[in-house]
Amino acid sequence: MADAKEEVVSIQTKERSVPNGVVLELTGDLTYANREQFKAAVEAVRQRGCRHLILHMDDVRFVDSSGLGLLALVSQNFKLMQGQVSMVKPQTYVREIMTLANIPKLIPVYDNEQEALAGYKMAA
Amino acid sequence: MQKGKTSSVKSATESHECRLPLLKTCCSWAASHTVLIVDDEPVTRTAMVARLTRLGYRVLQASDGKSGLELLRRERPDLTILDWMMPELDGLAFCDEVRRDPNILSSQILMMTRYDQPEQIAEGLARGADDFLSKAATSYEIIARVQAGIRTAMLIRRLEQVTEQIRRKQDLLERELQSAARYVESLLPAPGTLLPGIEMAHAYRPALTLGGDLFNVVRWDDHSLGLYLLDASGHGVSPALRSASFSTFLREDSLLNQVGSSDPGAILTEANRQFPLTEDGNYFTIIFVLLDIRSRTLFYATAGHHGAFLQRLSGEIIWLSQRSLPLGFDPTNVYQTAAVPLMKGDRLYVLSDGLYEIPSPDGELWGQPRLEATMREEGRRPVAEVLSHTIDAAARWHGQEHFPDDVAVMGIELGI
Repeated sequence: MADAKEEVVSIQTKERSVPNGVVLELTGDLTYANREQFKAAVEAVRQRGCRHLILHMDDVRFVDSSGLGLLALVSQNFKLMQGQVSMVKPQTYVREIMTLANIPKLIPVYDNEQEALAGYKMAA
Repeated sequence: MQKGKTSSVKSATESHECRLPLLKTCCSWAASHTVLIVDDEPVTRTAMVARLTRLGYRVLQASDGKSGLELLRRERPDLTILDWMMPELDGLAFCDEVRRDPNILSSQILMMTRYDQPEQIAEGLARGADDFLSKAATSYEIIARVQAGIRTAMLIRRLEQVTEQIRRKQDLLERELQSAARYVESLLPAPGTLLPGIEMAHAYRPALTLGGDLFNVVRWDDHSLGLYLLDASGHGVSPALRSASFSTFLREDSLLNQVGSSDPGAILTEANRQFPLTEDGNYFTIIFVLLDIRSRTLFYATAGHHGAFLQRLSGEIIWLSQRSLPLGFDPTNVYQTAAVPLMKGDRLYVLSDGLYEIPSPDGELWGQPRLEATMREEGRRPVAEVLSHTIDAAARWHGQEHFPDDVAVMGIELGI
């Protein structure tokens, strides 16, 4: 299940606090090549005890099979500490890939941050 | 008197040289280094030989370019001090010869000349000299440049040694990978008759030496058999090892012990429990098929896998697809079994996504529709030929020797 995309595009992460959560704005590709950067950014948020991570996906162009695995892993790690990962505004192509792998079953997908925060409040 | 004078001159030079810390340092490590001096002027050459010998270097000398080149090839000195102006093979032609010969091209050459115009120096450097030394240079400068040249030579030599070590290790690793790849391929089933009337052919093209895709057959009894194709995420050796381990779980005796059922959904539900995500988020996708000849039914379950279809005698293609999580994504997930009635003349193709997610040189994917069209064009030719022609078509689309992902496919003729 290698990634067919040869071009190496990095991923940038920008963290922002919101009431009852942390938004991680992602820019670039979520792929095998960028897995360490993504893992480190998410772990930093989790280790500080954040219970609700919102991944802002508007500027993510591509997610490969390794990226899908990382999303599942991040979701599991947050669940272990009664936390939740939500996702906001994935691009059409990324949304299709994630739907094929049934990711929305693990990570709810929202159109904006307000809905994500409201969704988490309801679940809690 | 004359003898005394010479002695006094020598003593003065030595005393001058030893006052300089640079030269003291030089003496201590010079002994292990060889310098070749190529100069047709005996006086200059002899003086340089004497100076460097006194400093402890092993010094070789040649009075013309041709014999200098022979000495260089034979002795591989650490540094060659080369005169520019020599009859026949001059310094520049000497440099040309050295840089053309792969055995000695990394030799360090210090060009000695009376020329000190920038254009001439530039020409010398362009032709292959590493540094320049004026014939009017002081003793101190000569020694410093010789030391600098030898330091560079040592670094280059170290680099060559390390490169050679890496190359050897790489060769060893390559041989080990090939051996592992042969082992993985030995896990694949033999093509041919699986049950009376059921014939299987397959093709397997790992993207790297070692692939993470595996498929196999589970012979349940005289009227039913299981088939699976799995794909491990990630790159390199790790997916291949994980696949081999998973294939052990999927052996008939292991499934009977650990699952106690030939039901594809039950098998994947147990596999999901036993094969969680790795710490890097790696996982398997898989399709597991049960062919039940008596009831003429195909049962299947998938975990994030989308590459299997039935081709009817009419040419109609029915993809066996479920929206399902890859293994390990949700430890509590229950995988469902779906059923499809089999018809006379059906062919079943089970394949990895590497067969259709193949980019053209422009980045456009080959895709399932082109795969279907290619297979339809093949009509009712023998399954092995269909597989071979389909892979050829995919390779033409890709336009490169190797596929970007593992390609694995099983074709089964259901003559039931």
